[in-house]
Amino acid sequence: MRYALSAMSLLLVACGSTVAQTGSAPRAPGIESSGYVWNQPDPDKDAALAHRPDIEKGKIAYEVCQGCHQPDGAGRADAIYPSLAGQHASVLIKQMMDVRAGRRDNPKMHPFVGEWVVSVEDVANIAAYLSQLPISLDNGKGSGNRLARGRELYDNDCASCHGDNGEGRAAEFYPLVAHQHYAYLYKEAVMIRDGERRNANPKMVVVIRDYSNEDLKAVSDYMSRLALPAAAGR
Amino acid sequence: MKPSRMILAAACAGLLLTAATASAEVIGDIERGKALAGEICVACHGADGNSPVPMFPKLAGQHADYALKQLQEFASGRRQSDIMKPIVEGLSTRDMADVAVFFAAQQPLPGQVDDPSMLDAGRRVFNEGNPDQGVPACAGCHGANGIGNARYPRLAGQYPAYVLDQMAQFADGRRSNDKRLMQTIASRLGETETRAVAEYIASLEGSK
Ligand code: HEC
Ligand code: HEC
Ligand code: HEC
Ligand code: HEC
Repeated sequence: MRYALSAMSLLLVACGSTVAQTGSAPRAPGIESSGYVWNQPDPDKDAALAHRPDIEKGKIAYEVCQGCHQPDGAGRADAIYPSLAGQHASVLIKQMMDVRAGRRDNPKMHPFVGEWVVSVEDVANIAAYLSQLPISLDNGKGSGNRLARGRELYDNDCASCHGDNGEGRAAEFYPLVAHQHYAYLYKEAVMIRDGERRNANPKMVVVIRDYSNEDLKAVSDYMSRLALPAAAGR
Repeated sequence: MKPSRMILAAACAGLLLTAATASAEVIGDIERGKALAGEICVACHGADGNSPVPMFPKLAGQHADYALKQLQEFASGRRQSDIMKPIVEGLSTRDMADVAVFFAAQQPLPGQVDDPSMLDAGRRVFNEGNPDQGVPACAGCHGANGIGNARYPRLAGQYPAYVLDQMAQFADGRRSNDKRLMQTIASRLGETETRAVAEYIASLEGSK
């Protein structure tokens, strides 16, 4: 079964790359498929994680991303381009490789992260460069109306993985969420709940399965206002 | 400054003394390049790379790395041009590097805007792209003033007619030497936005 599955994913990858030739993004099995394992080993991802990164090279390779994610990595709240500055390198590598392989759908970005644009080494170098950039503190926030509710939800259901201050956990591939744009957090939370972010963590899906949109807004707003103790000095 | 940079800078300075110049990678002889340009390229691109005709791209101030890549790709057919192909077939690799560094060292003249009413829309596309369509800001790669760098061509002051022609070639895949980056961008941009950004590019002066 394992072999059959991996043969199938190879086939899908092969088909995916022919599709990419004509401009549309590939699609690989994700959370909607039975037997989905979150953060499964993947040759390209593992090679990028193992690469000893060069930050200067990462800065140059990142030029191709700046037109959307901005030269300082702060993204754009109005365009729902996430902030990448200060994000854990492990998270950045996993997400880029998931988009490349079609485990996370992102047709807007896909043509700019294809292997014909950024090599495995570039991916590792970009991640190392971004992870050491100072986090932008003027990220987009929510309405501020239900922060007490947001805090309660966050402390009960989210802090165990995303951290008391939203710092995430690099070794576990849990994203930093502090100082992320509210609009992006909310959009992702909805997609994760509804099974549309196909590389999501099933344990997190269980936690937010019964959240209403209103509660997702409240918790996203609270998350966007979390402050890292170290952020001021970074 | 890092030691490796200092060595590079020192090496460049040394080369300049011998009347040659080095960009990030291209090393060529400006004087030889000037002679070749005056002989072969002048009719279309002008003696100093400020082309007299809008359909012939300005080469003045263009990065040598980019120009050399184009010349090699006209020769290999990776970039198609019935006009440029026979010309580059007569050039050696050394000739190409020499003309590339010569044109890179020339002063570009300001561009000509045909329709100033489009400049505001063009500036927006250049600096912000179009998030709904997934178009990144042109400035992200080509630089805030369209000056470019060793990896991305200079656009500032280029003729709108040439820019529009290249955008059309990228959009329908006739030009495909761009890692599909410009093909994606050109096919996502609407017609009016493309015309507006071409006008804005013409208005960019930017220093060399
Ligand atoms: C055309 C615009 C565009 C370009 C160019 C682009 N991205 Fe993105 N990127 C996006 C969008 C939009 C999203 C959010 C997708 C979503 O809503 O799920 C995103 C998401 C991401 C994420 C996920 C962030 C997270 O917190 O999970 C990473 C990592 C990323 N981009 C890295 C890059 C890198 C590295 C490059 C360059 C090699 C790049 N992007 C180029 C538009 C772009
Ligand atoms: C079991 C650990 C866990 C718990 C609990 C958890 N998350 Fe997550 N969360 C993750 C992981 C892992 C990811 C990244 C998934 C991936 O690899 O794509 C993530 C991603 C996210 C993202 C997208 C971040 C980005 O940069 O793209 C949001 C938003 C989010 N979580 C919100 C929440 C909220 C709100 C809660 C609580 C209601 C919560 N999470 C609880 C593990 C968890
Ligand atoms: C008969 C006219 C003509 C002559 C002579 C000519 N060119 Fe060109 N050149 C063109 C045209 C037309 C193009 C645009 C090709 C296209 O459609 O993509 C071009 C494009 C180029 C480009 C690409 C510019 C860019 O911005 O991408 C370079 C570099 C170039 N020429 C260099 C030269 C050099 C060097 C010479 C002399 C050795 C030369 N050309 C002689 C007409 C000419
Ligand atoms: C992701 C990086 C990137 C972005 C963003 C980008 N470009 Fe480009 N562009 C390139 C590359 C790379 C080339 C050169 C391809 C080659 O080597 O031949 C190029 C070439 C061009 C050329 C041809 C130049 C010439 O002299 O022939 C034009 C015109 C152009 N781009 C316009 C634009 C416009 C307009 C935008 C914004 C709407 C834009 N570009 C955004 C990467 C980019």
